[in-house]
Parts: sequence; structure tokens; C-alpha cells
Amino acid sequence: MKRIECLRLLAPLVTDELVVTSLTGANWEWRYLTQHEGSMNVSSMGSGTAVGAGMALGLPGRRVIVLESDGSSLMDLSCLATLATYQPPNLKVFVFDNEVYSGSRISHRSPTGVRTSLEGIARGAGIEAAVTVRDVAAFEREARAALAESGLRYVVVKVEEDPDARKLPKPTVDYLENKYRFIRYIERTEGKTIFPTLR
Amino acid sequence: MTPELAERVVRGLKAAGIDFVSYLPESRLIEILPLLERDEAFTVVCASHEGTAVSIACGAALVGRRPMVYMEASGLFLSLYNVLSVGIRCGLPLLLFVSHTGSPGDKFNSATFAGYGARTVAVLDGVRIPYQVVEVGDGIEERIADVVRAASAAKSPACLLLTGEFTAVAEGETP
Repeated sequence: MKRIECLRLLAPLVTDELVVTSLTGANWEWRYLTQHEGSMNVSSMGSGTAVGAGMALGLPGRRVIVLESDGSSLMDLSCLATLATYQPPNLKVFVFDNEVYSGSRISHRSPTGVRTSLEGIARGAGIEAAVTVRDVAAFEREARAALAESGLRYVVVKVEEDPDARKLPKPTVDYLENKYRFIRYIERTEGKTIFPTLR
Repeated sequence: MTPELAERVVRGLKAAGIDFVSYLPESRLIEILPLLERDEAFTVVCASHEGTAVSIACGAALVGRRPMVYMEASGLFLSLYNVLSVGIRCGLPLLLFVSHTGSPGDKFNSATFAGYGARTVAVLDGVRIPYQVVEVGDGIEERIADVVRAASAAKSPACLLLTGEFTAVAEGETP
């Protein structure tokens, strides 16, 4: 299963959810597939899930989807304990686990390709809703359930490494522009001012 | 910190608009925590690593909350990657509310903390994070408002380093 196959299924399911992408090829693929204004690219290894948690806890009436990778998730395992403690019901984390550090250019194996189970770690941290899916049908089932039901979800999606992600056009929007677009989207849809006018 | 000073600090945070606090507990300023947790104006989130706390606060800022990260100085070193790679890169206003452990004003300075204290200000200067060092309780409300305004104006993390009077504990108590 390729990650982009899953994202193709997910993109049309997203309406007013907020989407956080981490430093992973999923970011390029997500931007290629959708122009959803509620998407925020946080290209920081180890930060995507925690940023999503902050959004979910800070805006509990809005569903938040995090598109993470195995390498990024392994960089902040402590976040799983925080998720387990607070169980934000509006947070849905999808970890696309290709078992390699694709960014290394030599496909260096990640610990999830050796013995480490992110689902096992998440369950050990106290996230009972952690599951692993290995085919597109199971992903679609989990994605639809995650968006339809209340409750923290942590879905590890086993995918093959896909070098084609690197061939996609790269985003032309930088982090600051992405932030302003995202925040203006929140202001418009939540009816509140986040960045006031200049004086 | 004395209970009275802790109450003033929390009143100052509230008056400055802070409404979201992520933290890892520490020993000098901990008196503020029960006050924050008791007050429904604040969403309070305990993390297990200061870097996680910073990223959580960044997420809160992106959806319109006015967050602060409470931690001790060693946590500033641990979380600097998150401050830089999310807070600064995305231009997010965050209040870093930091006990200036190991600074000369720290009433419980020791070999455990001194190494951090000697370098904290230099690190903040190096990464160009605006900050104020506060040693006395008088005027703390204004200092908080100043640093929150600095963060908001620069759309950047800004730091309050609290030492001196803020690190004192009741007689017979150890941090």
C-alpha cells in the first residue's frame, strides 16, 4: 500500500477539519491532492502530533487530523503519554509508517522496520484506541470511523516507501504564508480574531 | 514563591490575556500551578518533555489561544529545537515563563543548576528571543504584560526569566 493511495481516500472526507502535516512526504502529497485551507504544514521532525494536540485541546469543538511519519513520531514519544492523559476526543493521528528514514536518501531503516511497534508504544502509553492497518480497505474503514466518531484515534498505517513522493511539485507556500492562511481560515470559520489589525 | 506572589503572577497572566498553559513541573515557581488549574480561564496541559510542551503551545497559538509554556531553565535548552523549528519558523507568539534556575539570584542555586544559569541569557541572545529577567515581585503584572506584548508584536516566542524573590520558598522548605 502506498501512502498517497490512503491520502486520496482521506482528502474528500475532509470538510472543516484542521490538518497538520509533519516533516514527511505526506506533506507534499497532501498539498498535491488538496488545497484545503485548514491545512498547516509543520515541517519539524517530532512536532506534528504535539502541535495537533495543542490545536485539539485549544479548540475542542473542531476535529484535528495529524499526518505523521514513523521517524517523526519516534522523535517525540513523550507526546503519547500526554495524549493518553488528556485523550482529546477530537484528535485523529495517522502515522504513515514506511519503516525507513526516506529523507536520508539511502532509505536508512527506522526502528519500526526492526522490532519497534508504534501501536505497541501507544498502547503502553495508555492510548487504547491505537491500531495498525496494512491495506487500503482497512485504512478507509479507520479513516471513516475516525471522522464519524468522537474519541482519540491513533492509527499506524503501514505503507511501502514511495520515492515518487519526491517527484511531486513542492509547495510554493512557506511557513509564514501557510500560518497566515491557516489563521485567517480559523478566524473566518470560528468567527474570532486571532491576529488583530495593526495600530 | 510565596502564595501571595503566586496569586499576583496568575492575576498578571490572566490580565495579559494568557489562556492556555502547557508545562513540565519544576521546583521554584510551582505555587502558580494549583492556581492556574483552579481557574477556568486557563486550559492547563502537563507534558512529559518541555519540547512537547512548546509544540503543544504552538498548536494552541495557531487556533487562536494565547499560550504560555512554564518550565525551568534546563527545559529551555531541551525545547530550543521546538522553539526554533515551530515557534520561530512559523512566527507564533508564545510566552516562555521560565524559572531562571542556576542564576545568581536563584535562592537554591547549586552545582545541579549553575551550568544552565550561566548560559541561559546567552542562549536567548543567541537565538534572538526577546526576554526580561525579573528578580523582584513588585511590578510583576507589568513585566508579564510587557513580555506578552513583545511576543505578540514580534509574532515570536518571548521569555520571562524569574529569579530572586520568585525562587524563595517558605522557611524550612526546600525546592
